[in-house]
Amino acid sequence: MSPMILSSRRRGFRDRVSRLHFPLLILLTMIAGAGVVTLYSVAEGSWNPWALKHATRYGAALILLVAMGLIGIRFWKALAYPIYFAALAALIAVPLIGESHMGAQRWIELGGFQIQPSEAMKIGLVMGLARYYHGLRAEQVSHILYLIPPLLMIGVPVGLVFMQPDLGTALLLGATGVAIVFLAGLSWRIGFLGIVSAVVAGYGAYRYEILKSYQIERILTFLNPDRDPLGQGYHLLQSKIALGSGGLDGKGYMEGTQSQLKFLPEMQTDFIFTIFGEEFGFVGAVGLLALYLGVIIMAMGVALRAKSHFARLMSMGVVVTFALYVFINTGMVMGLAPVVGVPLPLVSYGGSVMVTIMAGFGLVMSAHVHHDQEIMRSREFF
Amino acid sequence: MRINAQDPERQKVFTRRTVLFGGGAGLIFAGLAARLYQLQVIDHDKYVQLAIDNQFNRRILTPLRGEIVDRFGKVLASNRQNFRILLVPERTKDLEDAIDRIGQHIEISEDKRARILRQVRRRGVFVPVEIQDNLSWSQFSKLNFELPQLPGAQPDVGDTRDYPYGEAAAFVIGYVGSATETDLSSQENNSQRTLLRQPGFKVGRDGLERTYDEELRGKAGQMQVKVNAHGRVIEELKDEATPPVKGKPLALTIDADLQLAAMEELKGESAAAVVLDAVTGDILVLASTPAFDPNTFNVGVDPTLWKELNQNPYKPLMNKPLSGVYPPGSTLKPVSAIAAQIAGLTTTHRVRCTGKTWFGDRYFNCWKRGGHGVMDMRNSIKHSCDVYYWEIAKTLDVDILANTARKLGLGQTYELGIPGQKAGIFPSREWKRQYYAGQPENQTWFQGETLSAIIGQGAVTSTPLQLAVMAARIATGKAIRPRIVRAIGDLAPPTPDAPLIDIDASYFDVARAGMDAVTNEIGGTAWRSRLTEPEWRLAGKTGTSQVRRITAEERRQGVVKNEDLPWDRRDHALFICFAPVDNPRYACAVVVEHGGGGSRIAGPKAREIMRAVMKKDPASRPAIDPRSLALNSALSAQGG
Repeated sequence: MSPMILSSRRRGFRDRVSRLHFPLLILLTMIAGAGVVTLYSVAEGSWNPWALKHATRYGAALILLVAMGLIGIRFWKALAYPIYFAALAALIAVPLIGESHMGAQRWIELGGFQIQPSEAMKIGLVMGLARYYHGLRAEQVSHILYLIPPLLMIGVPVGLVFMQPDLGTALLLGATGVAIVFLAGLSWRIGFLGIVSAVVAGYGAYRYEILKSYQIERILTFLNPDRDPLGQGYHLLQSKIALGSGGLDGKGYMEGTQSQLKFLPEMQTDFIFTIFGEEFGFVGAVGLLALYLGVIIMAMGVALRAKSHFARLMSMGVVVTFALYVFINTGMVMGLAPVVGVPLPLVSYGGSVMVTIMAGFGLVMSAHVHHDQEIMRSREFF
Repeated sequence: MRINAQDPERQKVFTRRTVLFGGGAGLIFAGLAARLYQLQVIDHDKYVQLAIDNQFNRRILTPLRGEIVDRFGKVLASNRQNFRILLVPERTKDLEDAIDRIGQHIEISEDKRARILRQVRRRGVFVPVEIQDNLSWSQFSKLNFELPQLPGAQPDVGDTRDYPYGEAAAFVIGYVGSATETDLSSQENNSQRTLLRQPGFKVGRDGLERTYDEELRGKAGQMQVKVNAHGRVIEELKDEATPPVKGKPLALTIDADLQLAAMEELKGESAAAVVLDAVTGDILVLASTPAFDPNTFNVGVDPTLWKELNQNPYKPLMNKPLSGVYPPGSTLKPVSAIAAQIAGLTTTHRVRCTGKTWFGDRYFNCWKRGGHGVMDMRNSIKHSCDVYYWEIAKTLDVDILANTARKLGLGQTYELGIPGQKAGIFPSREWKRQYYAGQPENQTWFQGETLSAIIGQGAVTSTPLQLAVMAARIATGKAIRPRIVRAIGDLAPPTPDAPLIDIDASYFDVARAGMDAVTNEIGGTAWRSRLTEPEWRLAGKTGTSQVRRITAEERRQGVVKNEDLPWDRRDHALFICFAPVDNPRYACAVVVEHGGGGSRIAGPKAREIMRAVMKKDPASRPAIDPRSLALNSALSAQGG
């Protein structure tokens, strides 16, 4: 250990604040602003019940993000495994002491707070995997023995979330984990074999009815929306009608008839992009997508500039999670992805996901503020 | 221990792959944007149309059914408010459960439940089905109160057909019912089918309701309504509504008061009565007992009631004036007298009645065992002497008799618009050839059959309506045709001017004189059925028609009295009449099934009906003007 070198790099508080990635903060705030505006419209021109709460939550989450960003990257590295295992323990606890909510067990009560361990795991997995690969040399990454721990780190929580059952989050976790493994440098050959076996496993799950019937239903409806016009396909059709009738420049703010007349389910959460697209049209929808793309590009820039491997992988993990949210949600409402119940980050109403996303960007911010900090490679737990 | 923190190889791979990921993300964003472009710009028009279809539902406005009124405007069929509870299957998660929940407040039988489920299967989940109609106000308001707990339930105030005269006019009006698959497939276009599928919408099932269904039905209107995803109406767009057009009213020739009086007179019997305006052919009374209450049929017939009606030996579902066929018996004798004159006999032709006559291989026995003595044509009618006509029949060509009967109204149906009318039979050589078309050995006409036919027995059958037409034609000498619909909407066809029958007018005199004597001379078979007011002087003819063959064996042992026979083997009692004798205006026929004797049972009933007719004298009063009727009806449609 060489505390001398580390302390020489320690920065003052003001310095750190001045190094915050302000463009990223502005973009995130713009996206959240779009959420507030849309939620105000969904509530038929009212701050209640969603818009005001959304804005307040964003404000709190923004403070959390900045605070996390100001904390040094080594601190996060030290906390990586503890956070991962705490999230895992919570996930295991869910079926034992969890609350059942709409047919799925996702919540646990902890000191009066409702905690959704699967959300915590999104952060925990990114940190844990980044921490793991931080300690590996390039040539070790594709070694089969070194592949076993990350596969377990991904597989166990994905399996637990899947059994809750929350197909959307399980897919998201799995995809993020696999993406980090690739970014860490897994050889394409092994990756290809892995993907093939995953497809086989997926087919097996379908054949032997491991998937819940409603999950199979959703996938089949996605493949052929006409087979169930009043069920899942109905939502999709209504969503496409709302988007399509919005046209080039939209119907105007608060003029979205399809959404105002409640043809869409879960407008304040999963289908919020449709309302935005209906009221602000192609121009508005593409603009919102551009904001997301901007966030992704900026965060990737942070990852590329970071000196420590932990910071790089962690930042990219957050980027991948964020991007997957956006892709799955917007793809879903446009009929390009199955209706799996994934919210649109920072726009959809809902506290847990906002905290997850903002905490993730807090880590990215930390990587940015402390981008020139190196962290020596060690296999110590902390 | 410090190892190389900067692992350049590791960083190189990471950078490469991150750029790759960035490229992938860029491509996906491009794909998303392209998809948005497709949805929002290229297919925009298509989705705009779908969005409009989503928001606006076309709601069918059902028209009110046209009223049916009697000749003076009394309402025989109209519409009244009907509180109902409907169920929209599409808005329920679990149809059976939704029915159960409603079933907690009103009774839903197993049969009904099965019918509801059947309807849902047949009509699809988007069409509301009627759970129960004709709810009382308290039931209706309770259901409204409980509505939040009743998924898919939809209270509704509809209209239902109302027949204020109940069973009195059942056979004239008929009744309405929900459209069947056959009704639906017989419609010309989809919008008519949609109208017929509306819950509670009724089409004519029987009687005039069925025949004039198209006129009575009216035209559906429509209204655009703005709905939300739950199908709840947010706004009714009144400006773009086309109001429904009420059906045309139907004005009948029936006199509701007289109809009611006749029904009252026939009560307790299985009987039929028809009263005609002998000059115009207007049917004033078309009574059949027992009858059913068409108000109970509108709701859909209760199976037990239906079974009961079907098994009742008095046949309450049979429209006896039009569909009941009975041997006319002696009521035919005035016709036979006219036929005899056509064949060359004169009214002075005399026959000695000894109570029986021999023909072929057997005796024919007159109803009066001791015989009537010497009879001329007039007295043969007055006393209803069988032997007189048998003697004529021994040489009479049956075709002359059949021809005359036909000209006087028998053996044919009339255009009334009431389904199920029977033609009856008047036998002739030609008829027998056709009847036994496959059996040439049976086609020969035997003169013995003429002996049966001339007194209205044998193969001869007729309906009460035909008998009334016969009485009217004898009374006036005109070929009047009965009608029951005076006007459709504001269109009234002119009162037809009936042509004279192409039979020498003088031949009718003896028939009328004979009928006059039947009721107005002591010794006439229906002297007891006379009307004593001189200006109402009634001429009639009795008839008693056997429903069984009396064998020679039975006759030797003495004919069993009607009263001692089981009801369904007793003779039918018949009576035809017209009044006033000197200037006939009304004709009437009464048939009492298995009533026994015509003079004892049918005559007095006919007399009481005619008394009411003469007293009211409907022909002397102005009937309702169809133009004002149509106007009133249209106004009431707006008001409602």
